[in-house]
Amino acid sequence: MSDALHITMLLGQAADSAHAWPIAQPTDGFKWAGWILYLPIISTILCGLCAALKVHNKLPAWITVGLLGGSFITTVALYMQYTEPVTIYLFEWFNLKWAGSEFVAAFSLYVDKLTLLWMLFVTGLGTLIALYASEYMESDVKRGYARFFAGVSIFIVAMSALVLGDNLVMLYLGWEGVGFASYWLIGYYYQKPSAVAAAKKAFIVNRIGDLGLALGLWLTYHYFGTIEYAGIFEQVQHITAGEAANLEAGGWYITAIPFLFMIGAFGKSAQLPLFVWLPDAMEGPTPVSALIHAATMVTAGVYLLARMFPLMELHPAALPTVAWIGGLTALLGATIGMAQYDFKRIWAYSTVSQLGYMFMGIGVLTTFGAAYHVFTHAFFKAVLFLTAGAVMHGFAGQLDLRKISGLAKMNGWKIVSWTMFIGCLCLAGIPGTSGYFSKDAILAEAFVTEGGGFKVLGWIAIITAGLTAYYTFRVWFRICTGPVHFEMGDEHHGDDDHGHNGHDDTHGHDQPHAPRLAINGVLIILAIGAVLAAVPNFMGNESEHVHGGWVGDMVAESSAAGGLPDHTKHGSILGIDPHSAMYVISALVGLIGIAIAWRLHMASRSTADNLRARLLGNPATRWLPTAMENKWYVDEVYHAVIRAPLWILGHTLYILDQFLLDRGIIDGIARIPRVIARMFQPLHNGVLQSYAVSMAGGVGLVTVLVIMLPQLREFLNGLFGGGG
Amino acid sequence: MVEKLWFLIPEMIVFGGAVLVSVLGLSKRKVIRDALPIVAGGSLLAALIVTPMLYDAEHVAAANLLMGNLGLYVKVVVCGIGILLVMMNTGLIDRRLESAVAAGRAKFDPISATRGEFFAFLLLSLTGLMLCSNANDLIWLFLALELTSLPTYVMVAMSRGSKKAQEAAVKYFFLGALSAAIFLYGFALLYGASGTIVLTEMRDVFARQADFGDVSNLAIVGMILSILGISFKIAAAPMHFYAPDVYQGAAAAVAAFLAFVPKFAGLLALMLLLSTIGWENHYRFTEIGLPPALQITLWIIAVLTMTLGNVGALLQTSIKRILAYSSIAHSGYMLIGILAGPGLGMSAVLFYMLAYGLMNTAAFAVLAGLERSGREIETLDDLAGLRQRHPLMAGVMVVSALSLIGFPPLLGFWGKLYLFIAGIEAGHILLVVIAGLNSAISAWYYLGLVKMPMLEQPSARAETVVRGPSLWPRVAGLITAAAVIVVPLFTRNLLKASDAAVADEQVFVTPDTDDSQQLASRK
Repeated sequence: MSDALHITMLLGQAADSAHAWPIAQPTDGFKWAGWILYLPIISTILCGLCAALKVHNKLPAWITVGLLGGSFITTVALYMQYTEPVTIYLFEWFNLKWAGSEFVAAFSLYVDKLTLLWMLFVTGLGTLIALYASEYMESDVKRGYARFFAGVSIFIVAMSALVLGDNLVMLYLGWEGVGFASYWLIGYYYQKPSAVAAAKKAFIVNRIGDLGLALGLWLTYHYFGTIEYAGIFEQVQHITAGEAANLEAGGWYITAIPFLFMIGAFGKSAQLPLFVWLPDAMEGPTPVSALIHAATMVTAGVYLLARMFPLMELHPAALPTVAWIGGLTALLGATIGMAQYDFKRIWAYSTVSQLGYMFMGIGVLTTFGAAYHVFTHAFFKAVLFLTAGAVMHGFAGQLDLRKISGLAKMNGWKIVSWTMFIGCLCLAGIPGTSGYFSKDAILAEAFVTEGGGFKVLGWIAIITAGLTAYYTFRVWFRICTGPVHFEMGDEHHGDDDHGHNGHDDTHGHDQPHAPRLAINGVLIILAIGAVLAAVPNFMGNESEHVHGGWVGDMVAESSAAGGLPDHTKHGSILGIDPHSAMYVISALVGLIGIAIAWRLHMASRSTADNLRARLLGNPATRWLPTAMENKWYVDEVYHAVIRAPLWILGHTLYILDQFLLDRGIIDGIARIPRVIARMFQPLHNGVLQSYAVSMAGGVGLVTVLVIMLPQLREFLNGLFGGGG
Repeated sequence: MVEKLWFLIPEMIVFGGAVLVSVLGLSKRKVIRDALPIVAGGSLLAALIVTPMLYDAEHVAAANLLMGNLGLYVKVVVCGIGILLVMMNTGLIDRRLESAVAAGRAKFDPISATRGEFFAFLLLSLTGLMLCSNANDLIWLFLALELTSLPTYVMVAMSRGSKKAQEAAVKYFFLGALSAAIFLYGFALLYGASGTIVLTEMRDVFARQADFGDVSNLAIVGMILSILGISFKIAAAPMHFYAPDVYQGAAAAVAAFLAFVPKFAGLLALMLLLSTIGWENHYRFTEIGLPPALQITLWIIAVLTMTLGNVGALLQTSIKRILAYSSIAHSGYMLIGILAGPGLGMSAVLFYMLAYGLMNTAAFAVLAGLERSGREIETLDDLAGLRQRHPLMAGVMVVSALSLIGFPPLLGFWGKLYLFIAGIEAGHILLVVIAGLNSAISAWYYLGLVKMPMLEQPSARAETVVRGPSLWPRVAGLITAAAVIVVPLFTRNLLKASDAAVADEQVFVTPDTDDSQQLASRK
């Protein structure tokens, strides 16, 4: 494609989808908004002190809950007083002068409604989950309790910096910060080799994405000359206003920016091909899985793309790529989730799959749908993870679907069972639940937006919705219904090296203990939140041309506004209005999925086992369940394609290094300074007179040298034929 | 004259403190004798608080100094680090005497007590350093430099009871005298070449000379001799030989003092002297700038200093000798900033001096705070496995060593970064490359200071390392190490302060402009 054609297309697309949206202006007020960041920082420091001083009580938990709560209240206050997008300058972070150019990064906040939407659930859920963890982690009070809460606090610090920052460097700080916090918390049980391996895997896979983000950041700075959103957006709006020459001057790399950011987002949000770290990240304590690996951190990629949406439009293929990657990830995650038995892992694959939906939303031009799905998913997935945590807590780490049954009939497990039921309804997308509305916003838009084979993608997404309903209720029917039956796990709270002494309960190690106030309370609050998350969809819209209620408004006034669906031109599904059609189709698909799950896992569980046996028995179909149970062998493929060659290369280099470089070259070079040092050693003999003579000699030498300089220069000139 | 006295109030306070401690040190009451460090630190604190109040635009203009605002930054930094140095020296002097008195084995005898004198000398030396920043003529500069150095000779001798300390003091004294003779000779030649001792007037004379062709050779030779003589103060080649012996002979706390105070004084003297003759490409009212001869001299000294310092440290086993050579090497880095000249160069030197003062003090504080069989720890072996027995001190050592390498994001990294940027901007690419290579060599021995406490198992020798009797050196170590980590957050503000200290427009005011006539009439 020629450059000119390319740019015309690009401009056309940008102009079509661009609503007018305000860019934040600097303000002198709202300095107190900085406390959203400062409070978790204080919390981190205090928890760190508790760890250093070996505080062996629940103090760190209360510090964290209190200060994160304060941060949440500050966010709410900011939301209440919000009128228009602003940037709030806190202090200058660094300022590098280099030969006339300057690289300035301020510590300042970019507050528009998109920021607020994210911050509300980041700080709100953070507080609730810290509260939940205060009970969940209690058996560790004498060990890593303070360390755990310091990690949670530093995560909130980093996530807030990521979301609130008004420039890409601050986003990058937060981006690396959440990666670090995630590494810290996945590896919380550092005596467990699998946890350490998972932590390393998460970190390393994320590095690949981070590289993309870093390169994108650099290119953005290089092209736009600034890293501040406001400055970038102003220039991008200029481009969409028709200054094509600008873009041509930009050259190839401006079109690389969206793809680089995309790689960053895929890494952090566990999309194909970088999703492999997320399921393993479940080695961390469950509150961490709920907070970081379901509700907040993994949505950072969605945030990045929504925030940088104007840049995503710089290449016509960028958004379709996002959509297709998202759709395929959704399908892949769902198929793997169908065949797992560890139900925390099922929620993990489900998270991968739901994140796929969100990316699809971004890609098919409904940032509203993506943001709304982020919002509802944060609630219902947190509920699901925390119920999984409650089961782990009570059944000594037991998570196997085949080993727990009839939970709803057990004493003290009613709240867990029914909050899980609510979460499952939302995830399955049953009509009337929050997940139903948010998912439909994305599905419908896939059929509306033109180009990129989005219709095919839409059907894939609908099939995925059916699979989702099936695996969701497979879990619920297996765990909560049926005959009462359980086997205790062989570990405790995901940690295998201690007994049951931390508890005041009267059950032995072979009896489950039901959750108490903190866990139940948080579950109820979150379940109510998950239900109420449907309400914003029905709120009236303040802005024109925008639908989708409150969340729609939140997106409309931000840089993600370019991705809002334009409802002047609707497409259709099978000749019907896409929204009404989708309400019906997805409801049907969901109910079918649930019905199958009911048939296989409640009404007659032997049918399911027979089905699996029959599939395995038939050589033609054997591959399907095997591949699904083994996660499509993605890890193995990566091992063969990436790790093994690297391992061989590494060992080859190691041998070369050891024998050629180290022994031969490096040792040789390293010997030179030491030889020189020995040469000069006699000068330092400790005798006063010789020092004085050396000093005087040095003075004489330098003086003579400088006085003779003109002659010396002439002499050298003569020697080298006047060249010098 | 009154205008100049106004800025000397901090010096007067510290001097008053010096007189006070020398008298109080003779008191028969132990409480008073133990309070000496508090008095000394208190006088420094008072000077620290007073200094910012003195420097307002009006007074600075009236004083008509070469770099009017230099004193503000210098005095604040000197008083701040001075307090830390006082903390490090607490409990060092008269230890045996005091413990004997406390045990009732001896009666207190004012004749043999030296603690009061020691702190008085310490404060006097700091006074001299602060005076350097106000110098406006050669005599003042010479006296200030010598006031900085003379007390340190005595402090070295007092710091330890051993003969080694006395040997070190004598060496230091004689070589110091030699160097003073050299730069005094240089000053005399400068006077001969310009006919004035006042720095501002000297600058005008040299500028006029430059307008008519070239600065006189007499002035160049005088300047070279001054630079070489002052090299002794900053421990730069070829006057650096004394450093390892003297540092090793002195107590660690005094060695930390030696590495900071005379070095700072020497660098200030270099800045002031070279300002009279100008820098290439930066000097606004002559086209010539720093004469090539001076550039070459400084270039050679810088390269020699950093290379000899780093290479010399490679084979050492004594930590004090390592730090002594490292002190030499760091002087070499700072000469890059001196070469780069006004603007970023000098401001980077001032910034680096603060960074060096903090990280170097931290390293010495570990030595001062720990001891083995009644003596300060000495060799690298003593540090082995320090992490297990004294985790905080091990941490301090690691932080300071990493910062000395220039490991981001610690303070030393930023210091080096700005020095190197200044060097590149001034066009001394080769010099910066050599400095970079030197940094790489230096990692060899600094990483030894990281490896020994953190990765090694404690040797039998290291097992016997215990805490020193006084808490304060270790507190100073913790404070400085924390500062090395925290201060980088305020890099920007510090750089602004050091910029303001050297980028005074007064440096560039030509004698003929209206401004200076106004100034003259105001007088």
